[in-house]
Amino acid sequence: MSRLRNPWGRPRFLALITGGYILWAVLPVLLAIAFAFNNGRSRTTWQGFSFRWFTGENGSVLHDPALRDALGHTLLLAVICVAVATPLGVALALGLQRWRGRGSGTVNALMLLPLVTPEIVMGVALLLLFLQVFGGIGLGTDAQAIGQVTFTLSYVVVIVRGRLVSIGPEFEEAAADLGAPRRDQFLRVLLPLLAPAIVASAAVAFATSIDDFVVTQYLSSDASTTTVSMLLYSSARGAPTPALNAIATVNLVITLMTLAFAFLVYRRFAGRDEATSLATMEV
Amino acid sequence: MAGEINLEELCKKFDDFVAVDGIDLDMPPGEFFTLLGPSGCGKTTTLRMIAGFERPTSGRILLDGNDVARVPPHQRNVNTVFQSYALFPHLDVAKNVAFGLKYQKVDKAERAKRVGEALELVDMTEFAQRKADQLSGGQQQRVALARALVLRPRVLLLDEPLGALDAQLRKNLQVELKALQAELGITFIFVTHDQSEALTMSDRIAVMYKGRVEQAASPKAIYEEPDTVFVADFLGVSNLIDATAVGQDGAACTVQVGDRTLKAHQGATDARGDVKVMIRPERIEIEPHSNAGEQRMPGMVERSVFLGGAYEVHIRVLGGELVKAMVPNDGDVSAASLEQGAAVSLHLPSDALRVLRAGEPAEEEEAVETAEAPAPGAGA
Amino acid sequence: MGSRWTWRLVALPGVAWLSVFFLVAFYAILAVAFGNQDTLLQPVPHWNPLDWNVGYVADMFDNFFSGGPFLKVSLRTIEFVAIAVALSLLVGYPVAYFTAKHAGRWKGVILLALILPLWINYLMRMLAWINLLAPDGIGSDLLHTFGIEDLFLKIGLLDEPGGWLNGQPTTVILALMYGYIPFFILPLFVAIDRIDRRHIDAARDLGASPASAFFRVTLPLSMPGILAGAVLIALPMFGDYYTADLVSASTQTNMIGNQIDEFMRQGSEKVTGAALTLLLSLFLLVLMFYYLRTTRRAGTTVEDT
Repeated sequence: MSRLRNPWGRPRFLALITGGYILWAVLPVLLAIAFAFNNGRSRTTWQGFSFRWFTGENGSVLHDPALRDALGHTLLLAVICVAVATPLGVALALGLQRWRGRGSGTVNALMLLPLVTPEIVMGVALLLLFLQVFGGIGLGTDAQAIGQVTFTLSYVVVIVRGRLVSIGPEFEEAAADLGAPRRDQFLRVLLPLLAPAIVASAAVAFATSIDDFVVTQYLSSDASTTTVSMLLYSSARGAPTPALNAIATVNLVITLMTLAFAFLVYRRFAGRDEATSLATMEV
Repeated sequence: MAGEINLEELCKKFDDFVAVDGIDLDMPPGEFFTLLGPSGCGKTTTLRMIAGFERPTSGRILLDGNDVARVPPHQRNVNTVFQSYALFPHLDVAKNVAFGLKYQKVDKAERAKRVGEALELVDMTEFAQRKADQLSGGQQQRVALARALVLRPRVLLLDEPLGALDAQLRKNLQVELKALQAELGITFIFVTHDQSEALTMSDRIAVMYKGRVEQAASPKAIYEEPDTVFVADFLGVSNLIDATAVGQDGAACTVQVGDRTLKAHQGATDARGDVKVMIRPERIEIEPHSNAGEQRMPGMVERSVFLGGAYEVHIRVLGGELVKAMVPNDGDVSAASLEQGAAVSLHLPSDALRVLRAGEPAEEEEAVETAEAPAPGAGA
Repeated sequence: MGSRWTWRLVALPGVAWLSVFFLVAFYAILAVAFGNQDTLLQPVPHWNPLDWNVGYVADMFDNFFSGGPFLKVSLRTIEFVAIAVALSLLVGYPVAYFTAKHAGRWKGVILLALILPLWINYLMRMLAWINLLAPDGIGSDLLHTFGIEDLFLKIGLLDEPGGWLNGQPTTVILALMYGYIPFFILPLFVAIDRIDRRHIDAARDLGASPASAFFRVTLPLSMPGILAGAVLIALPMFGDYYTADLVSASTQTNMIGNQIDEFMRQGSEKVTGAALTLLLSLFLLVLMFYYLRTTRRAGTTVEDT
């Protein structure tokens, strides 16, 4: 009897909602991916399977200059972003973790702020910065990369610092105790232990950069600085071909492969539980 | 070669908290020296200062006569076995053990030989290629020992190295560790909060409480002749009875407990006024109620707890104090027949009664006045 | 270990980066909003606070309090966000609860499915719905076939048959919900997952029915997760402009983000845009502050009861 008074009914009902939600969340995207392989111009009517929008002679991701360049520019920005944000973020994480006392609280808050600032505010701020202060840099690739680094930095710090906390000071103390000078405490002990987190944070930075839209759009200059996200934004309501679905699919595959790789690395070297908690936290 | 450690007025403050409050300790070469105390007593901080992980606020740490208080850990010839072992998870057992040899001028062949010897010493040769996280707790402990010992330190520091292990394994390793220390002849400084572990293994124990050394002496002396109420209470089971010291009777002190007068031969026999008299349960004899007279106190059995090898009998003496007495389980039914409510007489031999200057026992927190404690480092 | 200064030095490049590209950049909004504009409507920032010109920000306030278009857009934004967050809670809570407490051996797989949308490009997810809701799209067909279109038409949530993508507030709200709900479910899942099963068992043991165990134990204990999730999605929603642009493409559904976007990127009234951005930031700051205070209080209430 009392079971019937459960506000959600039997878990079966909950299971139904959960299943329905997952279907609703994923199915539209799966359909969009499916139509990337449509052998026709329609994105709503199935006309047979083909790779023409990926590799065909006309208007495909591979051969249409606009699409190809957008993908290339997206990847270029992602590589720059990872190359700058990872070392910068790892150093900041190390510094913040070890630096006790005056100022560390303020810097910590400064590091967390970009995570809660709506992107449009950052976009406007950086746009005005590059227009009014750094006119020399101006808008374009450099500004886009700088903008992306500014908010991916926080992700790197959060991930690396989480790992630093779980490693604790003991291994470095053990190394010191065994005679290792400070340089070796870092290179022979801390760095190898930190490596999975560095790889994971680099992957997250890469994926975040690839999928970023607002900041990248605000800091773009001309057509040559268009990314995949910007292309999706500007073409979705036009009269696009399934090539738009195709380039989105390529984008998605790159993102997911990067993250899957990072997750596996992290799980292999830092343990399953820590990897799972990382995956659920990295919102 | 064994090293000698002398701590002189060693002090460590963390912000406002005084972790170690000016201790003096001599740790002779080749001894198994234990720092014993409850958590927060400053024992681990003391060990970390000897290792070099904490810089003393003031005071000196002498290693064979040289002050090393400001020498960084990697330049001290002492090594540590960490509480959770801190084996490097990215290296296998052999590489863990070889880690520190890189910083000693040792050639490759010699290095391999010493790693082999160290692993053999702790009986871990067959696990040389295992990763650290593929070992059991006991195995990790052995590897941690080998990793420290391979550097031939003059002093080995051990921070509760048995704390994470289950009871049976602990017992075995206690014996092994003691044997190893005797075989190597180097100084071991061992930190624990487990009094039975300390009594089993040590040549000398320093009991610490609230950043100070309450007493440093051999295990037997610490147990039999505690200097302070805290030490008496912390090691083993003690009866601590409120009393008033009223006078001297030869070598003995006359104390008043309720309306009884007892003689106590041990401890601070020159004390006067409020004191505690201490007696171990195994030194109390339970006699028939009719046995009145000198050194006797009447009481009533409250309960008898069966401990296997003995009975612990709780007796309420005249005046209200609860006293525990140990009666060996020798097959005699008389001990078992000590039922609740039975009237008995307790014999408290004067050579088992110890006078302690009054202080609060550890259970009643915060109350111990360390000012009452004897000078730090004083032996018994 | 290591001296205090070593670690500050290690942190320095990152701190410098954030100072310049976050703090100074944010200050640029202030300098422009409190600045002036030249004859070509280009901003002339006033960097010195003593020279600040409050005119444009004051105009903005006037516009708000006299019921001007900015007020209308702001109220619409709040309405959209509030409904989208409420819908997210309605759908997200059961999902998070089921995954945390009843999923059993499916937990890992479901969790993966919950995380997956976070890493699908937001614009691709919108593109997917644009495909579906286009007049000849599969989604429009299904909605028509199952009578949902008729229902929505009847209760006024849709203006014309097949017009899902033509300036419909309903579509914008649902798209916002679709876009942000994964970010809501995860913190909620973490919060519910952390609730010790034994607390619920204890409540049942003490005589609570499943319903009252839920309302007296589970729900209060998951409150911090609900709040965290709600704030986490409300903040970016308030700054969103692309969702409305993509699924509605009409000024009828303009949100505050669209307004800012029009001033900053498309038009050339950057000073007005900066002033509006500043006000939005202030509003969100208040929201954050309120959230931090409530979570602190919620934490203590849970301990008290």
